[in-house]
Amino acid sequence: MSQPATTRRDFLATGLAAMAGAGLSAAFTPVLGRAVRPADKIRLGLIGTGSRGAGLATLIREMPDYELIACCDIIPENLQKGLSLAAKNAKGYSDYRKLLDDKSIDAVVIATPLYLHYPMAVAALQAGKHIYLEKSMTYDIPQAIDLVKKVKASGLVFQIGYQYRYYGLYHRVKEIMKENWLGRITHFECQYNRNSNWRFPVKDPKMERAINWRMYREYCGGPLSELCAHEIDVVNYLTDSRPVKVVGLGGINYWKDGRDTYDNIRTVYDYPNGVKASVTSVLSNAYNGYSIRILGDKATVEILRDKALIYPEITNNPKGVVDGVTGATIAVTTQGKGVEVKFGKPGEADLEPTVFALKDFGECVRNKKEPISNVETGRDGSIAIHMGNAAADTEKVQYWKPEYSA
Amino acid sequence: MKKPWHRLAAGVIGLVLSALNLPEVPETYRITGEAQGTTYAVTYYANREWVDRQQIDSIFKSLDASLSIYQSGSLISRFNASEKGIEMDKHLMNVVNRSMQIYRETRGLSDITVYPLVRAWGFGTKAADALPDSAAIRRLLTCVGSDKLKISHQNLLKTSPCVQIDVNGIAQGYSVDVIADFLEGRGIGNYMVEVGGEIRTKGGKLPGNEPMNIGIETPSATEFDAPAIRAVITIGDGAVTTSGSYRNFRESGGLRLSHIIDPQTGFPVQREIISATVVAPDAITADGFDNALLAAGIDGAFEILRTHPEMQAYLIYKKTDGTVADTASAGFGKYLVP
Repeated sequence: MSQPATTRRDFLATGLAAMAGAGLSAAFTPVLGRAVRPADKIRLGLIGTGSRGAGLATLIREMPDYELIACCDIIPENLQKGLSLAAKNAKGYSDYRKLLDDKSIDAVVIATPLYLHYPMAVAALQAGKHIYLEKSMTYDIPQAIDLVKKVKASGLVFQIGYQYRYYGLYHRVKEIMKENWLGRITHFECQYNRNSNWRFPVKDPKMERAINWRMYREYCGGPLSELCAHEIDVVNYLTDSRPVKVVGLGGINYWKDGRDTYDNIRTVYDYPNGVKASVTSVLSNAYNGYSIRILGDKATVEILRDKALIYPEITNNPKGVVDGVTGATIAVTTQGKGVEVKFGKPGEADLEPTVFALKDFGECVRNKKEPISNVETGRDGSIAIHMGNAAADTEKVQYWKPEYSA
Repeated sequence: MKKPWHRLAAGVIGLVLSALNLPEVPETYRITGEAQGTTYAVTYYANREWVDRQQIDSIFKSLDASLSIYQSGSLISRFNASEKGIEMDKHLMNVVNRSMQIYRETRGLSDITVYPLVRAWGFGTKAADALPDSAAIRRLLTCVGSDKLKISHQNLLKTSPCVQIDVNGIAQGYSVDVIADFLEGRGIGNYMVEVGGEIRTKGGKLPGNEPMNIGIETPSATEFDAPAIRAVITIGDGAVTTSGSYRNFRESGGLRLSHIIDPQTGFPVQREIISATVVAPDAITADGFDNALLAAGIDGAFEILRTHPEMQAYLIYKKTDGTVADTASAGFGKYLVP
């Protein structure tokens, strides 16, 4: 901002005063998409300080870009935990609207149950805050479509917490795909499995649904929206596309504990050109819990949490035609066994992927850039998730409708 | 289709032959395994299993104990750790003597004292944390040069404690020769020995005595491409090895760094040749020269080849427009299988 005479705070106050009394449409003009001066820390509010929110706060605390000046949670223990990780004198709220009223906050991080994402994001946009919204983006398809419109009209920075889009490992895998290391890619096999009931302890039975919201359809889409969301987004990212249709089956066959979200779901997404991605979550087996296998006709890549391995295909053994082959020495490991994909620069710190995502969010806020994980990629992920759940619920093929991405 | 009585007759003849202890129809024996960080395959044609896998593996063990930089207790590792030098065994002496000769004949392009640089560039026994800067390279270059090695009787001596050697560029070829000699010592006259793409052949495939066909691999775009054959050759009694900058490389800022380091500049070779295939009477010669040809560039490679009529080479190189082409020394054509 080229207003050397006024301080940033002054400017914000003036800007907001000018907005006072203006209608909703005015609130979405880019006037509020204000730049933060390079020397200033971005002043953050954190809405939702449960397990994920507290995890984010722990990372934010170490980042020089940010000052976490407010936290909000309806559960007092969570709020205390959040405040203990925030700046000194940070304010605590149980009503997120009050937090949004705080004009000194530049941006908010929203890490609440899925059903709250849309109303909170809309309110934050109205309050002129840049937003880092945890994945997945919205509870249903209409919300996803509407949020795209609202974000675009706002001129504010809006990032979805798909941190793998910011992780060197995935950048390298995408590069390898482009360089044709895997040959023609026809399938993705994604799984996000665990061997647990996926519950958090509840002291007061009244709090069951608030704490274990992942168990209930009223609040989220179950394993597909809370676990597999990452993998659906990764396939979208790696293929630069989105699914055309999906089939699926799901059930509650193992954890019959009153939940109504699936404890197992298996979907197959069809992408352009017949590329298929199976997306699975099973809550009763944890072997290779998180894994994405990319099947090409020359090699397979297996992506695990923090590494990826390449398994070359053994195609028409040339020894059938000749008696020997002379060539540069083939390391033993390239024959049938996995070779680890190298990524990152030598000596580069091995950071939690979310740190890269948060760093980039700061960049976008300062320079008014559109994030790589933005409202449109977020919409594509959310719609795919809802199509997958609908496929399993109805046992019918679900198709991407043109109006989804019009 | 064979009639049953044919088979019966063959069986009877076989029985008679073995009863008379006459030579039977030779069989194909194939021993494969892993050694020296790669794979090996020994194929021979004989009427009895004269050599088995255990014997081959034990040869590799003795070679590793002498020449492997991956074993801290090997003779070569002890030389590298020493202040002044060590007493050599037969293997190390053979390899060092031949390396010194090739060092002189290639005017330093092939140099076993390049090891400190290989390590600095992350192609040693472990990856480097960061790439070396030119100051570090200049420092290391003071330890490089085979003129800093002295051979006195059985001893290999160094002029400075920082001198270290790496015979990986020649040891595979030497290993092929050692195994070939072992087979010949057992009276085997028809064989193919292959270690990590370095090959020596003798005789033909029995019983038909067909020539042994060797495919020359096309350099592939990635470390993982299945090998494709660019040309097929047959070399009779001799050896063929290939050196390529295409398989062992590391990425640095989008640039591929070849594992072949120029001992004179201290930097990875960035030459137009991506693969050099050398045919020579023995594998130590072929393997000893292939890296040097790669480092010499097309003109330099042909200059070296002119002084070595016993050696022929086939070079695959990248033209300035990025396309891949090949060229060969005049005598190479006779090996090509049409």
